[in-house]
Amino acid sequence: MTQAPETQTLAPKKPLMQRLLYGQNVDRETKSRARVGLVILAFACLYVIISGRLVYLAATSDGQNTRRGGGDIVATARPDILDRNGEVLATDVRMPSLFGEPRRIIDVDEAEELLTATVPDLNPVELRERLSSKKGFVWLKREITKEQQQQIHRLGIPGIGFRSENKRVYPNGASVSHLIGHVNIDNQGIAGIEKWLDRNGLADLHSLGFAKDRQQKPTELAVDLRVQHALRTELLAARDKFKAKAAAGLITNVNTGEIVAMVSVPDYDPNDPREALDKERINRLTTGVYEMGSTFKALTLAMALDSGKFTLGSSVDARFPLQYGRFKINDFHAQRRVLTLPEVFTYSSNIGTARMALALGVEHHKAFLKKMGQLDRLRTEIPESAEPLVPKRWSELNTVTIAFGHGLSVAPLQAVMGISALVNGGKLIPPTFLKRNEEEAAKLARQVIKPETSERMRYLMRLNAEKGSATRAEVKGFYVGGKTGTSEKVVNGRYSKTKLLTSFTAVLPADKPRYLVLIMLDEPQPSAETKGYATSGWNAAPTTGKVIAKVAPMLGIEPRFDLPPADRQILAATASARAR
Amino acid sequence: MTMRILHLFVIVALIVAAAYVYDIKFEATMQAERLAKVRGEIKRERDAIAALRAEWASLTSPGRIEALAQRHLPLKPLDAFQIDSLANLPERPKPPQSEPADPIAALIGDEDPLPTGSVSEQGGQ
Repeated sequence: MTQAPETQTLAPKKPLMQRLLYGQNVDRETKSRARVGLVILAFACLYVIISGRLVYLAATSDGQNTRRGGGDIVATARPDILDRNGEVLATDVRMPSLFGEPRRIIDVDEAEELLTATVPDLNPVELRERLSSKKGFVWLKREITKEQQQQIHRLGIPGIGFRSENKRVYPNGASVSHLIGHVNIDNQGIAGIEKWLDRNGLADLHSLGFAKDRQQKPTELAVDLRVQHALRTELLAARDKFKAKAAAGLITNVNTGEIVAMVSVPDYDPNDPREALDKERINRLTTGVYEMGSTFKALTLAMALDSGKFTLGSSVDARFPLQYGRFKINDFHAQRRVLTLPEVFTYSSNIGTARMALALGVEHHKAFLKKMGQLDRLRTEIPESAEPLVPKRWSELNTVTIAFGHGLSVAPLQAVMGISALVNGGKLIPPTFLKRNEEEAAKLARQVIKPETSERMRYLMRLNAEKGSATRAEVKGFYVGGKTGTSEKVVNGRYSKTKLLTSFTAVLPADKPRYLVLIMLDEPQPSAETKGYATSGWNAAPTTGKVIAKVAPMLGIEPRFDLPPADRQILAATASARAR
Repeated sequence: MTMRILHLFVIVALIVAAAYVYDIKFEATMQAERLAKVRGEIKRERDAIAALRAEWASLTSPGRIEALAQRHLPLKPLDAFQIDSLANLPERPKPPQSEPADPIAALIGDEDPLPTGSVSEQGGQ
């Protein structure tokens, strides 16, 4: 019904066109003009299409859609990792990898024989299995040398090819192993900063097929390779000398929270990450949790001073061991008299610190440690971290023991963060492995204790190096302050008298702290040189001294000689500043 | 007649246009090939630079340098006593006053503006 009018309207038009082109009774000239017109129209259409296409190409194409080289499919690139001075810690190098296309292989036996002759570490059985499979593509050997590639190329076996892949190399070997971690065979980060890179968008780039070339912005870390190496050398020497099971060290900038060096030996070579699986080679500073021993007394004393109930002039009764139920708390360097607060610190009195913590109460103690970040898991850029072991029921006895560093296990990095806050003016700054300046740190910082308390803590730390347990860590010219820590390890549920974990925390320089150094030795053995002692003052403290003597010039700390003792350099200076 | 000239003109223009297009096309292909080649070269160079940088880093790694220095150099680790600030450095002593190298020249050159000790003394008197 509806079609009828349409055909009627079209009917006169069609005959018109036909009449113009082919009609018998039409004038020749009109007809040819019509024909030429038609041709012009057709060409005009063609040109419009061409110019339209040109405009489209000019607008959209940026010249990138050229053909891509074939061998790039799996070559995922990673950004370089640099230390704070721009030294290369990790970079990508192109390495050829050998693959086979079993469907195109003519003679498996011949291919297998020739290949095993050229690449000796190929497993013949496995190779034959792979080449006989029905797959279109199999890897035969990842990362062969250029010479091997040449040789195999010359053999001319059909169905065997190469693909160049990015291989991660760590030029400094084991020096920075725990810090930067390592990658797997597909160049994916599986530990340390490498994993952090993947978690921060690199993995997404890879899965989308980007990040193929090396034009990525390198990642700059806070670590200083020279300091890291010096620390590692000293730790290896100390581990040898004191026959310790393990040794670990950490150097951090107290004002920014940057980790300038972090070593835990035994470590592994990230170029050969199989060793990383060994349980003895874990990173003790972040993955292990330990009872930090007397190091925690610094936190207890800071708590006591910050509460206002105690001052540097306060005295604590340490005449008798503290009897608590069936437990008896005694001192290692027992004085059997009333001690002043600085003496409690320098003699490292368990009784004294325990009494102070008790005087402030369990809740106050718990709240303070919570504020100092000692009760929660500390997370940094690197994925390895450990939950502190906090007692489920926190009784007075727990407060007594935790006051001198037993009964609460924390990651050493966590303790370092807390002690940094004690000396840097009372600001708790989360530690970082990336570069950070003081302004950025100030934004993240949280004031946890009063600046005056922090000054007194610096004084106590320095006093300890002048006449306390830390004298062996003193380095002339750098005004070191510090606290020893010796804790007994728990063996079969009991504290062992012979298996010790010793640590030393040093502030550098004590009057205006810039760096904090933590050295930890796991089960150091007593020797004739240490007069039969295995406590921190005899092994961790002198090791720290050696480390400081070596790294302080690298860290740009100016040596100063003939400085007055702590009470005048630190306390008097601040007192006069306050009087003004 | 005009029609014929027009036709001729159009045909010539067509041929010229075709030749020109062919030329451009050829040029473009050449350029594209060169571009691809240079891109490949850049990529190879970058890879080579990366390999060299990695090698440099491993050759200059502190562990290696330390071992080499211990074996071949009589150097010892730096001691804190060896470091001092510029402010603590005493003033440079005055150079000892010496006779002019050429006494005759000094005698002749009375108007010698050189502020040597002898000249200034004479000038003062």
